[in-house]
Amino acid sequence: MTELFINDEEVTVPAGTSILEACRSNGVEVPYFCYHPELSVAANCRMCLVEVEGWPKPAASCCTPVAEGMKVVTETEGLEKDRAMMMEYLLINHPLDCPVCDQGGACKLQDYAVDHGMGKGRYIEAKRIPTDKDLGPFVNTCMTRCIHCTRCVRFADEVAGTGDMGVLNRGDHMLIEGVVEDALESELSGNLSDICPVGALLDKPSHDVSRPWEMTRHKSTCTQCPQGCDIEIESRDDEVMRVRPAQDGVEPWICDRGRFVYDAFRSDNRLLQPKVRQGNALKETTWDDAIAKSVELLKDKRVGIVFSPDWSLEGLTAIRLLHDVAFEDCKVAFELHRRDTRPFAFEEGLSMSTKAIEKADQVVVLGSDLRQRLPILMQRLRKRINGGKPVTRIGSMYYRTNTIMAADALIRPRDWAAVIASAMVQLTELGKLAAGMDAWLENVEARHDAGKLLADALISDSCALLVGEEIRSHQDAAALIHGLDLLMRAAGHAEEGKDGRNLLPEGMNAQLLSPMFGDLRTSAGDLFDAASKGELDTLLLIGSDPVGDGLFSKQAKAALEKVDLVQVSSISGDMGQFANVQLPASAYSEVEGTFVNMEGRVRIADNPLRSLGEERPMWKVMMRLTQALGFEVPAVSLAEIREKILELSPVLTELADAWSGKDVQAMFIPSARNRKATTLPVTASMQGLDIVSRYSMYREGAWARASDLLSEAGRIHAMDDVIVHPDTLANLNLEQGKLVVVAGSEEAEYEVGLRTDVSPGVIFVSKRGTAGDLSNVTTAELKGGQ
Amino acid sequence: MSSSNQPCFSEKRLAEIETLVKRYPSAKSALMPVLYMAQEDFGYLTMETQQMIAGVLGLKIMEVREVVTFYTMFKEQPHGKYLLEVCTNASCMLNGADELYAQMKETLGIGPGEITEDGLFSIAEVECAGACAGAPVVQVNNMYHENATAESMGALITRVRAGEAI
Amino acid sequence: MISSDPTQVTRICFDNIEVEDMHKLEVAKKHGAYAFLPNVLKDFDADKIIDEVKTSGLRGRGGAGFPTGLKWSFVPRNTGKPTYLLCNADEGEPGTFKDRDIMRFDPHLLIEGMIMSGFALGVKDAYIYIRGEFLHEYNVMCAAIDEAYAANLLGENILGSDFSMNLVMHRGAGAYICGEETALIESLEGKAGRPRFKPPFPAVEGFYGCPTVVNNVETLATVPAILEYGGAWHAAIGKPNNTGCKIFSVSGHVNKPGNYEVPMGTTLRDLIENYCGGLQHGDVPKVVIPGGSSTPWLLGEHYDVPLTYDDIMKAGSFLGSGAIIVMDETADLVAVTRRLAHFYAHESCGQCTPCREGTGWVERIMNRLDAGQGTEEDVKVLFDASTHMAGRTICALAEGAAAPTLSLLKFFPKDVQAKLVEKSS
Ligand SMILES: Cc1cc2nc3c(=O)[nH]c(=O)nc-3n(C[C@H](O)[C@H](O)[C@H](O)COP(=O)(O)O)c2cc1C
Ligand code: SF4
Ligand code: FES
Repeated sequence: MTELFINDEEVTVPAGTSILEACRSNGVEVPYFCYHPELSVAANCRMCLVEVEGWPKPAASCCTPVAEGMKVVTETEGLEKDRAMMMEYLLINHPLDCPVCDQGGACKLQDYAVDHGMGKGRYIEAKRIPTDKDLGPFVNTCMTRCIHCTRCVRFADEVAGTGDMGVLNRGDHMLIEGVVEDALESELSGNLSDICPVGALLDKPSHDVSRPWEMTRHKSTCTQCPQGCDIEIESRDDEVMRVRPAQDGVEPWICDRGRFVYDAFRSDNRLLQPKVRQGNALKETTWDDAIAKSVELLKDKRVGIVFSPDWSLEGLTAIRLLHDVAFEDCKVAFELHRRDTRPFAFEEGLSMSTKAIEKADQVVVLGSDLRQRLPILMQRLRKRINGGKPVTRIGSMYYRTNTIMAADALIRPRDWAAVIASAMVQLTELGKLAAGMDAWLENVEARHDAGKLLADALISDSCALLVGEEIRSHQDAAALIHGLDLLMRAAGHAEEGKDGRNLLPEGMNAQLLSPMFGDLRTSAGDLFDAASKGELDTLLLIGSDPVGDGLFSKQAKAALEKVDLVQVSSISGDMGQFANVQLPASAYSEVEGTFVNMEGRVRIADNPLRSLGEERPMWKVMMRLTQALGFEVPAVSLAEIREKILELSPVLTELADAWSGKDVQAMFIPSARNRKATTLPVTASMQGLDIVSRYSMYREGAWARASDLLSEAGRIHAMDDVIVHPDTLANLNLEQGKLVVVAGSEEAEYEVGLRTDVSPGVIFVSKRGTAGDLSNVTTAELKGGQ
Repeated sequence: MSSSNQPCFSEKRLAEIETLVKRYPSAKSALMPVLYMAQEDFGYLTMETQQMIAGVLGLKIMEVREVVTFYTMFKEQPHGKYLLEVCTNASCMLNGADELYAQMKETLGIGPGEITEDGLFSIAEVECAGACAGAPVVQVNNMYHENATAESMGALITRVRAGEAI
Repeated sequence: MISSDPTQVTRICFDNIEVEDMHKLEVAKKHGAYAFLPNVLKDFDADKIIDEVKTSGLRGRGGAGFPTGLKWSFVPRNTGKPTYLLCNADEGEPGTFKDRDIMRFDPHLLIEGMIMSGFALGVKDAYIYIRGEFLHEYNVMCAAIDEAYAANLLGENILGSDFSMNLVMHRGAGAYICGEETALIESLEGKAGRPRFKPPFPAVEGFYGCPTVVNNVETLATVPAILEYGGAWHAAIGKPNNTGCKIFSVSGHVNKPGNYEVPMGTTLRDLIENYCGGLQHGDVPKVVIPGGSSTPWLLGEHYDVPLTYDDIMKAGSFLGSGAIIVMDETADLVAVTRRLAHFYAHESCGQCTPCREGTGWVERIMNRLDAGQGTEEDVKVLFDASTHMAGRTICALAEGAAAPTLSLLKFFPKDVQAKLVEKSS
């Protein structure tokens, strides 16, 4: 620790802190532009000057470390003159267009010009006029306003890892530029407009639409992925205008999916009125009418329920209550990506916070396209790697990460058991054992070299295992996860406080699903098959879109052709064409409720936006249905729902404190563990090529598909529908072009793209068009087309 | 010199680059020497050439762009076979560089950024060449001509136009 | 031959500068090159060399005049990282042209200096960063280095010792700022040459984050003589705290411009009248820029100033790189200042606000003043815009950029007034 004086006050800060940070942490304001707490120090704006006793010239506080006994002064006449001059230098080339600038009202330059400027500029020569750049659908540029603080460049290098922004030329010809083909390569690009202190990089979608001072801000939780970032929804007259990271949120950034999905809130795809089908069309109607229609389709019928997990905890609980009261014997599915419904040794959710993952000695990512699925967690890993800590990865593709893995191996999904087995052998050789390992090993003959990477990482003091979708959706997932559990036990990463077993989930509230619904879990595929076979009359789809999302879209389509559909949702989406009745449920921005992210972090939304139409919170819709179906209503208020939560799920008792106002920052709901889930692997001989279905953050989820902005980005970032490694074709003596994929008894022709970053022996399919139909199969053959 | 085909280093060059890279702790340090090589081989640095160099050294295109645009000796535009660079900084100026530069422009009939019709010459005003004892200094493709005069430069131009060596 | 009697020494780096073909190893060896190197490799160790250099009082010849031995002693040892030695041969300061002569006429002197310095610092890889325009000098240096490798003066186990060192020539590409040592490091790392803020200092975290020493050509070329004749010998040449000889690059309005190496403390008048053949016009110069264009101006009244770091500082300027630009009464000072303003605007790396915007602004005002279109208000703005770049930036370029305008405004307000549109009384 270092003691120093700031404006005669004695303060103590950790050694090595910069003067600027010492000032900030002690509430002393020093103006700055280029400094940003999440970026490296550039010290180029020279706005942060302070005086240090005994020093001949003012010092830039952001890059000057504190020293014992140093006497810092932040306000003097000299400094005021310096700051005024800095403002004058900056403004000589800055247009005076605040009235038409989106940043106006939230602009550092404008604020400081008022606080420190001289009022009138003395520059009379021509101003520099750089040309604007097209950085894609999310970021608007107005480079005449750029003050060259290089925050965006450092962001692209250090945070996004893309390095696609840079500084061209020198002197006052210096230009900030992006080298882009269609759009910035980053899934975090929206943050650029936030970190630009002036109006040079702006949010393109909200460009010229609104001004900062017209906005009302609502703290909320993003439910677009299980990260559940703290967000601030900015609205004007109840209309969502922008989504931004919350000021004091856990993570400084949010991803483009969570940010730009906002246009879906007011899209035509929003379900704002109850609707019932009349012939080919859905017609708006009253709640009473729609509920009556629903009852017709549900009462005394064979019903299947499929719901999505991103509703608030209160909403989910209401679904459970409805089920328990009215549909006790019917099938319920809530995971569109899980083939194996046997219990997992460690269920969906993380045992560690993302911060702890960032700090662990070793991190191993098993089969996950993290950048697409959990961009913010990926950013933590990138930060970790920038800090010199390794990340190991094994999977069926070198998924792009915009950073460098310490060790990386390509495998096919069928190789997972062999990888785990090899790691077990190596741990055994080191004397690291767990009961049950022998039995597991006995069932697997094959060994795979990639197991060494896993074993190497496991023999460290702390290791975070991030188990991804390639394993979670594996047909033998329970056995693989049991195997991984054994490895973690053997290596000492399963004890409390050191638990590194993390199963990356598909959606928000993942930590709750197994405790709340584990006993009801059916495979969505089985449920749809049952429906197609005529075993069901009606599907009750609650927020779920099984055609657009998940592995079972082909089966879902077949089922929906067959049965009636009651859809409860915030988005009409592709399910609209099948629905007989649509009941509008409030969006996540419009409810009071509880959300639990993949870390188990609790967030309580209490400042919702007003509904735009007649939509109702999920719990109310569920309770109303319960009543209309003729059952006693288990809860008639939010408070009663919450009581039910505590009754149903003992693991959630802590929430009582949260609802009564206790700070939730340190509250973590643990993810479920099944000690008895000791499934052993099956040795199945597999033919053909493995199929892996690709995920796109711009396309997955009804919200994203309802967003024009994300759809546009999805088009820009799209890859071929079907991709294989060149060796895969070479081994089959095939040439690139139109090829036929044979899956079981069905075949279809596709334009097959080649990429060297996918594992040989694997076919990657996107979920677009008919390629999506392949998602459900695990192997296929490839043969020449016409 | 540049062609519409994709620029590509010769095998010999690539071997040279391989040796060059080994002299530095990281391949990125080889960027400036490689840019010089490219300029020698292709005349000037088109976007395609820069892209190609990024590929050869495993760099991002932005890393190459930043360097190319920062240094005045890397050219993104073509210039004449002989680039006449007149130093007009203080010491040369005190010894008549401004007049010399004006006269040379007149003799050639071009201004900075232009190429004479025969493709032989371009002219530029540059910063201190570090040879002020010989002011004024004119560099002809980085060959120094000290104590230059309108006559000596005129003679040089005539020689080149007549196809003689300088 | 350099005399072992310090009072007899008049030149050190330039001792053999007129020797024909001195750039050839064979010739250089005949004139004593590398003769003492085996003794250094055998009998000296790091501490002894650094001590000798400290004792010698040698101060960096690149501009800042920082004591060389002290700089070397800041380099942490046994960090587990390599230590790099970088020779600064960027020579971009207007008026400076001394390093060029060492490199083209006596390249082996620099190579020998680098081997000895590298030995002292435990260096495995050393680089010479030479300005891009010096193509001839680059070629001469490359040839000399090849010869040195062939003679086992560079490379593995130099002259049979345990010491191995590589030496690589690296060309800059037209950026004055790359003479600033941290910009040089950035440039050598293959980036745009934008200076880094300090701390950390290069001695601790320099080239690729490793301990790094950057020294000027002349500094390194002085090391062999110091080790051969001893630090005390060097300390006895020149004046206390300003020891040894110094090459002055004299240009402008003198009859015999050129490089002259003289013992420190020789007066400006002595140098100009007895070495440079006197002024082109008049008896006393109007302005002398003593240390390269970035240093404040001296006037005729300073004609007798002894050329030492301390005396020139007392006179209000800096010895800098020893580039003396002399202007006699015929000089148009507003025009010269305009031209220098253009230089700094052209060469600013662009990162710091006051330098990026200030140098351009100053240039544009100077253009107007010189064209006879300036006003009183312009003069005030010029003063403000110059004053507030100096000392508020990452590197010293901005300070240098302010020096000419501030000198002009301070010493020659009448020259400025004479060019204004509306002349005040
Ligand atoms: C703008 C600027 C330009 C510089 N140019 C040079 C140069 O061309 N050559 C040089 O040796 N030092 C130059 N320097 C000084 C170097 O930063 C550094 O102090 C010097 O190379 C250290 O070597 P020395 O200790 O041997 O003098 C420059 C400094 C600044 C601020
Ligand atoms: S003072 Fe000028 S040249 Fe030096 S770092 Fe700052 S902007 Fe670059
Ligand atoms: S915040 Fe310190 S220089 Fe910009």
